[in-house]
Amino acid sequence: MTIWTKRIVVASAFGWLAWSGVKAKIQFADVTQNAGLARAHRTRRYPGPKGDVLRMFTSGGAAAAAGDYDGDGLEDVFVTDSDTALPNHLYHNNGNFTFTDVAEQAGVAGGNDPLSIVADALWFDYDNDGRQDLLVARFGTPILYHNEGGGKFRNVSASSGLNKFGNTIAVIAFDYDNDGRLDLMFGNYFKPVNLIELKTPHVLPNDLDNAVNGGGVTLWRNLGGGRFVEVTEIAGFGKHTGWTLDIGHADLNNDGWQDVYLACDYGTDRIFFNNGDGTFRDATEQSIGFDTRKGMNVDIADYDNDGWLDIYVTNITDEYMKECNMLWHNNHDGSFTDISKETNTCATLWGWAAKFGDFDNDGWPDLFVVNGLRSAGKENYIPLLLPLITSPGVDFTDVRNWPDIGERTWSGYQKKKLFRNVAGHDFVEISAGAGVDNDKDGRGIAMADFDNDGRLDLLQTNADQQPIFYRGLTAGGSWVQFQLTGTASNRDAIGARIRIRAGKLTQIREVDGGNGYAGQSMKRAHFGLGAADMVDEVEIRWPSGRVDKLGPLPANRLHRIVEGGKTLSANSTKG
Amino acid sequence: MRLPIVVLLMVLSGVAAAPPSETAYHDGIRELSARNWDRALELFEVALQAEPDNIRYGSEYRQAALLRAKTLHGREGKPEDFDRTLKFFEQLTAKSPGAANAYLNQGFAYVDKIPAAGAITQVILANTALGHFTKSVQLRPSWIGYYTRGVSYLFWPKIFGRAKLGVEDLKTALKIQQEGPRKPYYSRTWVALGDGYWKTDDLDMARAAWTEGLKEFPDCKPLEERLAKQGDDLKSLIEDALDPNKRVDTNLKDLWVTP
Repeated sequence: MTIWTKRIVVASAFGWLAWSGVKAKIQFADVTQNAGLARAHRTRRYPGPKGDVLRMFTSGGAAAAAGDYDGDGLEDVFVTDSDTALPNHLYHNNGNFTFTDVAEQAGVAGGNDPLSIVADALWFDYDNDGRQDLLVARFGTPILYHNEGGGKFRNVSASSGLNKFGNTIAVIAFDYDNDGRLDLMFGNYFKPVNLIELKTPHVLPNDLDNAVNGGGVTLWRNLGGGRFVEVTEIAGFGKHTGWTLDIGHADLNNDGWQDVYLACDYGTDRIFFNNGDGTFRDATEQSIGFDTRKGMNVDIADYDNDGWLDIYVTNITDEYMKECNMLWHNNHDGSFTDISKETNTCATLWGWAAKFGDFDNDGWPDLFVVNGLRSAGKENYIPLLLPLITSPGVDFTDVRNWPDIGERTWSGYQKKKLFRNVAGHDFVEISAGAGVDNDKDGRGIAMADFDNDGRLDLLQTNADQQPIFYRGLTAGGSWVQFQLTGTASNRDAIGARIRIRAGKLTQIREVDGGNGYAGQSMKRAHFGLGAADMVDEVEIRWPSGRVDKLGPLPANRLHRIVEGGKTLSANSTKG
Repeated sequence: MRLPIVVLLMVLSGVAAAPPSETAYHDGIRELSARNWDRALELFEVALQAEPDNIRYGSEYRQAALLRAKTLHGREGKPEDFDRTLKFFEQLTAKSPGAANAYLNQGFAYVDKIPAAGAITQVILANTALGHFTKSVQLRPSWIGYYTRGVSYLFWPKIFGRAKLGVEDLKTALKIQQEGPRKPYYSRTWVALGDGYWKTDDLDMARAAWTEGLKEFPDCKPLEERLAKQGDDLKSLIEDALDPNKRVDTNLKDLWVTP
């Protein structure tokens, strides 16, 4: 028995005692139809005899981004589509748990051009004007929309400098140099070739466990004035040529600078620590070691409330491939230990997005994971792959060598997983009882408190299917939310670290700019407080380096706080 | 008639000296104990080149490579730790195409690499190993050949439909073992055969195999365990035994140390 296992066994015993009998049952209700979000996503159809193979390899694109674009205090949500000429959706939150699609009027519906495919979206205030701007990431060039106010957006891509073609599947906004302006990192899946007008069939991974012919990442520094400049090479990301599927950022070593974790399909995930001088160092070997798995998602949270952020990565753990996910426990020294098996978070089938959230407000972040690649006919695609994989000398990069999928299913009809956090030492899978064990082909998760009732809601996007909108109904403990506004720091306060003490629990959250595959959650920091009715202490460490201390503050409130410690408002809510 | 003393000495020395391959093998064991990895591997290779069909030399050679990998790189070693043995066996079987046990060990060398590899590479390695086990069986049908290939089939996920091939091989292995003297390790065939039936969804036949095996080998714990479990507990036990991510014990020493 390892030291870690011993710790978990002992702690789990206490955790279980603490958990049993006092916790509310986590409960969600599917409110998709009534909410007006039941518009099915459609993946891009490709021309040519191997079009369905390319479609399979690019079967993402169903993304959702939560953000309050009109500043009315209600989280809205932008949902992408991917097939030619199909519009994206900007769902305005009407305040009664119904939404209205205003994408056309707002001017943000476009993007699925004949030669471009929408794949992800991100709300961020790039010019610090107090309004959420919108970035639409594509297999193509990105589209940057400036929020003009009044529900209107203006396409400012041409003047932004964001003009580089990439097969982008993930994008995050964060202030890597702490200069008060939000920068952008794009995660690119394929290398930068246009998949719709293929010049060569050699575009697929050159190795299914250690591929190095992917699109890597690009980093763009915000210069101010609406201009971005690429700094990928200077910052130290130029050598990464993996098949990036997701990006997570956070201050992983508590030094005040944002670090980066890259989840990569067909091979090694990467972790980069920020040197604080505009450059990063690749610490993969020392921190996590080299893996060969199919990294799909990065989410970051302090699941055990030890004051250090941990990382959750989904991989593929199905009948035919037993990779196991990775719950990287932060060892406080720049290294991480995978404890997914010990915490029962290892197996979630063909994983996609995963998000930490305290769904029962007990002070311990739970975890929702979506999965499933392609639910179709009774026949299974996997047996067809065996000859391809095992034939000597087959060129995996050649799309012509891959068998047609037709109407076959591949890792389809998979039940989603919801893990309840048992005092930071164990997780218990409860999806069926919680009402979230749907079997759709999940992709992204946008998590927000859409009705301001102090309970987290979930929007799950699905490939080629309708999304599912889950309203949180759990009658759990107290809670508190913080909406931060930076002044010296970026106005969205992305990267700000909030530490609270309430009762016996001390917890941290960091405001993130789009962590998690194909889903951006609200920027408000949500804390469950359990039985505490007061937050005893609050400490906010802003990206500028300033530290504000507040408290005590009442529970069951959304506190709006401006850098410098000024509390703008403390709204009580329906909850 | 008295032999000349020189001739007598030559005869005596010839009788007393071990074959060069055996000398190299024992020197290899000694170097291995001293953790002189590269020298040990070299000596095992010398022994195998002299006797390619020697199953013991091949097995110990692989175990030495495995020990080196674990010692130098921890846990399952690095994938490249196993490339030396793979390359050597490839050359050995090319030079000695009739050496059934060389092919057998070549297949095991691929199996040895599996835990250190990625999920897709594992499939490639496992499939390549099967090819070498088949070659070994074709050259010389044997209990170890059929048993090995039969068990290998059982490690494949159900979706590939290979478990039924495993059952057939294990039935052949059973037939072979029943035609000769009883060996303690023959209990393994009953265990695996039952597992194979279980994996082909024939629980009755699985239990029958384990029951029959326990009659012949009443002290066999794996058989007892299987018969004592049902449902998910049994599933868990068998899936754990046939987990491709766990290192398979490919040490063949039972074949020569068991009475």
